[in-house]
Amino acid sequence: MKKVGLRRLAALAAISLVGTAFAAAPAHAAKITITVMTPNYTDAMPPYYADLEQRFMAANPDITVTHTNLSWDDILVKGRTLVATDSTPDILNLNTFSDYAAADLLYKTSDLYDAKKLADFVPAFIDNSKYNGTAYAVPDLASARMFFYNKQLLYSSGVTKVPTTWDEVTAAAKKIKAKYPKVYPIAVPLGPEEAQGEFQIWAGGNGGRYFDSAAGKWVINSKANVDTLKFLTGLVKAKLTQPNPASTNRTDAFKLFSQGKVAMINASVFFPSTLKDYKSTVDYGVAPFPHSATGHSITLGVQDYFMAFKKPGNQDAVSKYLNFLFAADNYAGFLRAAGGFIPATKSASATVDSSLLPFINQLPNAIFYPGDLAAWPKVVGAITTQVGTGVNKDPQKVLDAIQKIAEAAGTK
Amino acid sequence: MTITVATARKHRKKNSLISALPWIGPAVALILLVVIWPAIELVKISFTKISLAGALGGFNGLQNFRDLFANPNLSVIALRTVIWVFLVVFLTVIISLPIAQLINQKFPGRKFVRWAMIVPWAASVVMTSIIWKWILDLSSGELNLTLTQLGIIHDDVDWLHDPRFSFYVLVFVAVFVSIPFTSFVLLAGLQSIPADLSEAASVDGATPWQIYRRIKFPLLRNSLAIATIINLINVFNSFPIIWAMTHGGPGYDTDTTTTFAYKMAFIEYNMGPSTALGAVNFFFILIIVGIYLRVTRAARIEA
Repeated sequence: MKKVGLRRLAALAAISLVGTAFAAAPAHAAKITITVMTPNYTDAMPPYYADLEQRFMAANPDITVTHTNLSWDDILVKGRTLVATDSTPDILNLNTFSDYAAADLLYKTSDLYDAKKLADFVPAFIDNSKYNGTAYAVPDLASARMFFYNKQLLYSSGVTKVPTTWDEVTAAAKKIKAKYPKVYPIAVPLGPEEAQGEFQIWAGGNGGRYFDSAAGKWVINSKANVDTLKFLTGLVKAKLTQPNPASTNRTDAFKLFSQGKVAMINASVFFPSTLKDYKSTVDYGVAPFPHSATGHSITLGVQDYFMAFKKPGNQDAVSKYLNFLFAADNYAGFLRAAGGFIPATKSASATVDSSLLPFINQLPNAIFYPGDLAAWPKVVGAITTQVGTGVNKDPQKVLDAIQKIAEAAGTK
Repeated sequence: MTITVATARKHRKKNSLISALPWIGPAVALILLVVIWPAIELVKISFTKISLAGALGGFNGLQNFRDLFANPNLSVIALRTVIWVFLVVFLTVIISLPIAQLINQKFPGRKFVRWAMIVPWAASVVMTSIIWKWILDLSSGELNLTLTQLGIIHDDVDWLHDPRFSFYVLVFVAVFVSIPFTSFVLLAGLQSIPADLSEAASVDGATPWQIYRRIKFPLLRNSLAIATIINLINVFNSFPIIWAMTHGGPGYDTDTTTTFAYKMAFIEYNMGPSTALGAVNFFFILIIVGIYLRVTRAARIEA
């Protein structure tokens, strides 16, 4: 920590020097520089932004844009350190916004976009961008999950129907294991990369949630969730999953599926393009995600956000930038560069690729993370680190521990 | 007479300090900027309230430390850190002693062997860790492939993720990257031992083992102490190996206090207790550095 800490502090020192230099520029000056920081959904993002901003600056000669492209890992860390040193970017693209909104750092969306533009965002997504009833961010894109299966492995093992319930999943997994002892019938990646999603999609099919918004309280150790973790533990103990789910990251599981070593997996809308990148030859099918005997099938909707930080004199510039980005043609380019996600606007949804339709059709059954709570980022951290250990330890105790952290983090 | 000599000496001392300033000034400034100042900030921040978003609030008293010590995972992780440091340093030293002996001998190709030894040291630790991560990978790792082809194992072993192996795999890699430095410190120690000592002993009929045990090993004591203590600091601070290979997981099962501090801050957004742990870690390092300074001073006085 010390080494890393020192290096970070040095970097922060440098950044904050730059920050003060900007702040020192007189507020009434016509020229303004805004900083934009975004994650790389794919390698196509940096060239997309380079082109976008060149055209933006040509149209707005008094605005200069400095852009930082970061990997997801880096941007999550950097977002936090920049706030700590008062050197936030002007515009940030991230998977959470609520803690910044709670700290009163963000513009309301109504201060940045006109009503017509706001009305074009998919209502469910904009609802998830609200903190205390006010939207402080806009969705940039979204994903939904479905059940992917390897047709060859499934059908040649004597499974005639794609599983729709947990019992059918177990039965199918046993058949696959009997026929192909080297294949892991179902992947359950509960490693830190995405454990919150993997667990939620299983628990959701059993009626389990992280947060009960009607009652305004955390329900992480609810019976539905504990039973889900017990069910997953059963799969692991029966050796129907890949070994050590608590350390298997989503990427590891995707890799195994692409190599034909996993027969069934929960995956996101962009998974087909991932498989293509891996040059996978697996013939796969897509189906609604299986549910428990008492539950019904759900999909997990996940969305990311664009947000703008309040700084003296930057409102006009960030508003112009964001409206430029969300102009129909530019936004279409954004979606192309990001690769295979669900659009966040109604107008863009009207023209999507047909392979996205099964996912969009699932959206009425979508459940979302309680991303509107300021405590959510902290709770996610506890879930990703700990939930997977439930399959080796006592599921009830593990979920109790996370519940305790969530309650301490608050319900706002 | 004595007084004048003393004052003259004092004067000279003061003058020499001033005349030395231009030479040591840049180094002192650098140390102030990159060591002392961050250390002060680290301690200061550990007593500061930090919001969820990461913004700094006011003075928080000992609350961050109270939160830290209330963390149910801390005691296990602290104990593991002690085991980690002890195991890695102990194994490193035990393995490096014969290696130093070996590369001190004259044999054809010695230069090449010494070069090869330095490589893991010269390479970035993150690089080494990632290479090992891939060697040990479950589905595409070279180790599982080789062991399967040799018929030693039949099912792939998940070296990095299986709780039975992961910690020891990390220990192995940490030892692997620590050996070169340790061997070379010990080699330097061996080369400083005059050859006539062992020659004389062998003329008196001492066996090679006796020469090593009774003459060389005692004279190696100083370099051994220095190698051990520097390794203690390195291994205690070792972040990249653990983070690159297991992220401290599953759960907290391979975390040390160093990776735990990072995990609390940037995965769990528990900034307050994380800064407190940072300060505690720094305090431990100070103690080890103190011991190091004592030992090296003792060594210098003896020499």
